[in-house]
Amino acid sequence: MSIQEQYRKRAAELLASGEVKIIIGYGAGSTPDRRRALFIRSADDASLLHVDAACDANLSGYLVSEGLLSDRKKVGIFLRPEGIRSVNILAAESQLDPLQIVIIGFNVENGSLAALQGSGVNDFSSLISTLKESRSTPEEQALIEKIEGMTPEERFAFWQAEFSKCIKCYACRQVCPMCYCKRCIVDNNQPQWVHTSSHTLGNFEWNLVRAFHLSGRCVECGGCDRACPVNIPLRLINRRMAQEVLDAFDHFSGMSHTQEPVLASFKKDDPETFIL
Amino acid sequence: MSEPFEPKIVAFVCTYCTYAGADLAGTSRLKYPPNIRMVRLPCTGRISPMFILKALQKGADGVLVSGCHPGDCHFTHGNYHARRRWTVFRALLNFTGIPLERIRFSWISAAEGVKFAELISSLTEDIRKLGPFDQYKAMIHETETPVSL
Repeated sequence: MSIQEQYRKRAAELLASGEVKIIIGYGAGSTPDRRRALFIRSADDASLLHVDAACDANLSGYLVSEGLLSDRKKVGIFLRPEGIRSVNILAAESQLDPLQIVIIGFNVENGSLAALQGSGVNDFSSLISTLKESRSTPEEQALIEKIEGMTPEERFAFWQAEFSKCIKCYACRQVCPMCYCKRCIVDNNQPQWVHTSSHTLGNFEWNLVRAFHLSGRCVECGGCDRACPVNIPLRLINRRMAQEVLDAFDHFSGMSHTQEPVLASFKKDDPETFIL
Repeated sequence: MSEPFEPKIVAFVCTYCTYAGADLAGTSRLKYPPNIRMVRLPCTGRISPMFILKALQKGADGVLVSGCHPGDCHFTHGNYHARRRWTVFRALLNFTGIPLERIRFSWISAAEGVKFAELISSLTEDIRKLGPFDQYKAMIHETETPVSL
């Protein structure tokens, strides 16, 4: 039995036994190589599920949909390791109860599917610990170092050129499981913090705010990068911020569902070399 | 003849320490440059990174954020939270090319009037040397020019 068949069988069992009321997984997308979110409530529909290397979206954002978890029933969800970290963060930020989530974990290693054992958030803690130790994608790291080697003027020009492409469609916000605010700061007009016109100034501010709000929360699922219609390297900036919280506070986001959010906690001996 | 460049500096300060320190500098008749615009807030923990962006958006050449020394916060730990936030935000500003010489952070207590006056003097001099923040001002200018189709 293929890995996909095993997953379909497990999903069907979860639904048939009544353990979960719904399964959030992947179904066929608009082209053969794409997958889109699929929501099934009946064991008969399990055959519609796809589990393969093309399943790249982080589905955890659907868990905070209004009303989904309010009946206290369980929900099954297909998640890659990044998605499991997202669930941990959402739980740590009191957005959901991890006991209500049945995780159907899978991983994609070197382009091929690998099964993950476990169903509760705690079952994956050793996996997440190894992720913390081995975090690096050399290709992106080289670009980050190249940017850091520039003068501030060059860096500013680099990002100005990137952000000037932004059309403020907010797809990056929409796709992000961490952007669950009912009212985003850019939607506020009293006070209006961020210019809403499509000028570079407002784009610059929006992208800075977005990156700041994801600092120490982003799990680098790459959703924003894939969603951006003008290909701004959003992941690069998120990755740099993740590195910063790791270096400064030894914080790796989504380690556990009890981990304190990095910007809502402190240590008395936090580094402060830059303060006069 | 154009006038010599006078930097605009916005200081976000907490009312219990740095504002009182500035007050002490004043009552002690200490001299410091008038380039600073102070915004008094209840605590450094109240200082959102948005304030810094707003100051730049409104044409500031430099920003100072200052509050109580660690352990001295009136609200016991507002400045510890602020310190973490600044560490992260400062790294973000650096990565996106906003020169860190323009965004400064300090701890100034109510007793440190001299430190306040000296810091403002040196900060003003530093930013005067850097000149106006032209790259940011070009972006502001773009929003003010009428669109030509």
